[in-house]
Amino acid sequence: MDNRNDENLKELVEKFFDPEQAQMYLDDIEKGEQILHAHPAPEPDEMLIANIKAEIALRALPRRTTLVKRIAYSAAAVAATVIIITATSTNLFEKTTDVGTGPTREYASLFPWNNYETESFNTEVEQIESELMDLKLGREELNGDNDVSEMEIELIEIAGDFWKG
Amino acid sequence: MAKSDDLALIIVGCRKGDARCFSRLVDMYSARCYGYFYRLTGNNDISDELLSELFVKLVEKIGSYKGGSFESWLFKIATNIFHDFLRGKQRRRKLLNARKEQLESEITEPKKSGNEQIDRLQIQLKRLDTDTKELIMLRFYSQLSFKEIAEIRSEPIGTTLAKLHRGLKKLREFMEGQHCG
Repeated sequence: MDNRNDENLKELVEKFFDPEQAQMYLDDIEKGEQILHAHPAPEPDEMLIANIKAEIALRALPRRTTLVKRIAYSAAAVAATVIIITATSTNLFEKTTDVGTGPTREYASLFPWNNYETESFNTEVEQIESELMDLKLGREELNGDNDVSEMEIELIEIAGDFWKG
Repeated sequence: MAKSDDLALIIVGCRKGDARCFSRLVDMYSARCYGYFYRLTGNNDISDELLSELFVKLVEKIGSYKGGSFESWLFKIATNIFHDFLRGKQRRRKLLNARKEQLESEITEPKKSGNEQIDRLQIQLKRLDTDTKELIMLRFYSQLSFKEIAEIRSEPIGTTLAKLHRGLKKLREFMEGQHCG
């Protein structure tokens, strides 16, 4: 609200005119503006000012709402960013392939590989295989279908033992 | 300094959409802005309209105010509003009619008392070209420095200085009845 009309005016005028001319120039400006001071313009009507204030209040309200919305959206965006960064840093969204290896191993370890007598199982399988081979080659005397059915029963039993653990 | 601090606080409030802060700006600047519009248009109704438009624009544009001289920013908007007004054909016609009516009333009913002086200045102002009149009023009502006025008008400071000097000198001559051109 400071009147800056005469701010550096003298210095400014002296840049363009010699000191004598500058003073005349300044006097002319001063006298001209005295006329304006002597003839004040009418002031705005009180009703007009009241109307303007009412209009402003109506327009300022949506502006305020928009401002609040903008702040809310910004806050939501910041919160979302923080959540994503936190989740990423704590491996929340890590790929399932990486996640899968751990539990699979655990399930595998539940299977009683250590308890199962793998050696005896292998021996039995080898024995049966050689017996079958013998049969195919006719090394043993053929007792008809009984030998084959006995063999099948034996295989079924082994298989059953295997799956029972 | 306290005034400029107050103004800064008011502007912060306006940017937050506080209607009371806008009201304070209206109280602070309405008289000067109204005077500016009145002296340029010579018409109360048009000045009312332009003043309302100015403060509506102020609400819309307060977010774009980036600091610096508030008066300079405000009067830049006021100047643009006046230019828009001049460009509007309908409004110009309205102004011409209003001026015609005003002149007719002045001829038939010569005013006395304080208004006589006001009208005398207004009549003499009409003899100046719009650009000179605008410059004189901008300086008087905005209370800005020459540098700021030259910036608003986008012209060299020397040009602004010369135009103002010429305009004020001419106005004085008109008022003193020495010049008949």
